[in-house]
Amino acid sequence: MNQVNKILLIIRREFVSRVRKRSFIIMSILGPLLIGAVGVVSIYLSQEESEDQRVLVIDDNYPQFKDLEDNRLVSFDVQPISIDEGLSKLQGDQYTAVVHIYKNYYKTHRGALHFKKQPSINVQRQIERAIQLKGEIYLLGEFDISETDYRRIKTPFELHAFKYDPASSKSEQTNYLPAIVGIVFSVMIYMFIFMYSIQVMRGVLEEKTSRIVEVMISTVKPFQLMMGKIVGVAAVGLFQFLIWTILSLVIFSTAQYVMYDQYESSQIMDGASMAKELQGEFADQSPINTARFSEEDNIFQMLERVNFPLMIGMFIFYFLGGYLLYSALMAAVGSAVDNDADTQQFILPVTFPLLLSYIASFIIFSNPNSPIAVWMSIIPFTSPVTMIVRIAFGIESGDLWQVWLSMFLLIITFVGVVWIAAKIYRTGILMYGKKPTLREIMKWIKY
Amino acid sequence: MRKSHPIELSDSDNIVQVNDVSKSYGSSKVLHEITFEIPRGSIFGLLGPNGAGKTTLIRALTGITAPDSGEIILQGKPQKPSIGYLPEERGLYRKMKVWEHAMYITRLKGLSKSESVNHLKPWFERLGMTDWLEKPIESLSKGMQQKLQFVITVANDPELLILDEPFSGFDPVNADEIKREILGLHEKGKTILLSTHNMASVEELCTNVCLINRGKLVLNDSLSSVKSTYRKSIFEVEFKGSKIAFANALGHQFEVKEIIDNNDRSTALIQGFDNVKSNELLRALIQSVEVKSFSEKLPSMNDIFIDLVAPKLEIESSE
Repeated sequence: MNQVNKILLIIRREFVSRVRKRSFIIMSILGPLLIGAVGVVSIYLSQEESEDQRVLVIDDNYPQFKDLEDNRLVSFDVQPISIDEGLSKLQGDQYTAVVHIYKNYYKTHRGALHFKKQPSINVQRQIERAIQLKGEIYLLGEFDISETDYRRIKTPFELHAFKYDPASSKSEQTNYLPAIVGIVFSVMIYMFIFMYSIQVMRGVLEEKTSRIVEVMISTVKPFQLMMGKIVGVAAVGLFQFLIWTILSLVIFSTAQYVMYDQYESSQIMDGASMAKELQGEFADQSPINTARFSEEDNIFQMLERVNFPLMIGMFIFYFLGGYLLYSALMAAVGSAVDNDADTQQFILPVTFPLLLSYIASFIIFSNPNSPIAVWMSIIPFTSPVTMIVRIAFGIESGDLWQVWLSMFLLIITFVGVVWIAAKIYRTGILMYGKKPTLREIMKWIKY
Repeated sequence: MRKSHPIELSDSDNIVQVNDVSKSYGSSKVLHEITFEIPRGSIFGLLGPNGAGKTTLIRALTGITAPDSGEIILQGKPQKPSIGYLPEERGLYRKMKVWEHAMYITRLKGLSKSESVNHLKPWFERLGMTDWLEKPIESLSKGMQQKLQFVITVANDPELLILDEPFSGFDPVNADEIKREILGLHEKGKTILLSTHNMASVEELCTNVCLINRGKLVLNDSLSSVKSTYRKSIFEVEFKGSKIAFANALGHQFEVKEIIDNNDRSTALIQGFDNVKSNELLRALIQSVEVKSFSEKLPSMNDIFIDLVAPKLEIESSE
């Protein structure tokens, strides 16, 4: 039998033995459902406050804030009492929070919010706005401006972002959804690289400690055994990704089918009130919220604007590149030690760049073209997780070289790392007893 | 049990030729210029205390590791011999099923799917394992797992079998079964390298032995020559007659070590000196007593092993 067939046999065993496991089947089905559930729940939570806030306002400037306007989330009860007395009223269920507006409002500009259960940031903003508005209206008399005039003066303004593409001479409205999709892909790459390279390490360690490796090495070359395992596990990862993609598509289209009518009608029905509410909002609105309210967009239409073929292609490239890099290192770690406990000391330094890029991808999310974003998306150890976020935002044609460089460096690096890892592996798998020092491992590379 | 004759043939009939092989791990030298050969068709006992370098030597023979210097020549008929290797520490993919695992390894060794089936089936039948083929390996008893290892080792019909402690973990019945199979393979002309600490099985099975200690070759010969080389001139004589006459008949070259009475007969252990021949003792005795049986007590492999290895171990521990 030729050597290629041997590798294929090893790949097949690694693939089949993992795919048949119950945990794989469960993860494949549960994965998209879980992600979907997290998405739905987080949208739900961001939209709805769980309970109405009944706020007791202690106004040291009473009666200045006597008639605070209630709004959708918060109702106010203003009383000229002491703070101690006010706080004692939090004992019962009558109030959910106590707001203390300090004396000399126009000098201090401050107050305090006391609560039993932390209200959302949104609620806090609403309270602030209500008090601010009242404070401003209170002053109007001094300038001889009517409240109606004031409300006209204070017109809201918002920017809708459009991206101009010199190639097509068109400017298209942007939204944050592609970037969010980018983050999701980035987190997925991180998860997949981590999960599957750890699997490679465990597999290597298992073969070493069960001593099957000695039988194997007398039949195949160590490099074949290592690469067979790495490629086999990669196939498992891609297969799982394929299942997730197909399942997600099914869930997505079902959700679209079920929810679309509902969404349309509710939008029309609420259109008027929403527009009103929009106008009534004084302070900044996050662009995501604005996008949600703008007429033409619903979440499904926005998702359709994401370039999924590109994203999936890039996912496969960066997952494979990053995975090959880290799994080869993990294979080396698994071969160098004797037991699970000893792996810990090596896992941390090996996976540190991965962890760093995971954290950085959230920073890149807010500024995709900052120097740190550019550098991390080019350096091979961090590029697999970070570049996909930048690609999701859209890369300027002038910056395309960064993507090519990043891909090129990743390929060069994984070839180099596989080569080094194979040398460590070759010696490590036959070494038992004491844990090798870093210096000894360096020596193995030179053998 | 049958014992085959030692095989002493010309150089070209050695399946393995080890020339000046040395190997170091870091600063410690594990093998020192080892030279020996394994005659084709022999059962070759590779002996040595723990840490002597046996595993390193075996790994060099199987090609798992390369020696630092020296050469290992494998001469098969016609090309390089195929090797079946049963390592001391047995490894199996515990989650795999017995048949699946056996097929996997056999195919990795180069057999096609159908060849693998044809080779494996008779072995599983012979060793009574057919009911276990669809069971996961982790559900097998230790002995059963050992049998599976053995089957995998021999399934591709290798010319040279390297068995490292093949009997460890077996109950006496199973150990006997494996011994029979080893002798069967020997009869079919296979060469078997047997590394073991079980000296009784060495005496039972081996035609040739080699002993290494602290990475150096201490002994390398056929079993019978080793035994006669290390003979201690102890004879066992069963006789009828006067014990005094018996004792007087021995000259200054012999000394009685022990006499046991057994009804009308006595059995004596005699120590001879100056490499004295057994005939001289017999000649002296038959004039005084009636000799019923006579034999030279050859040293057991166990004795030889301890004689050769123990003094060095003592020096080592006193260092």
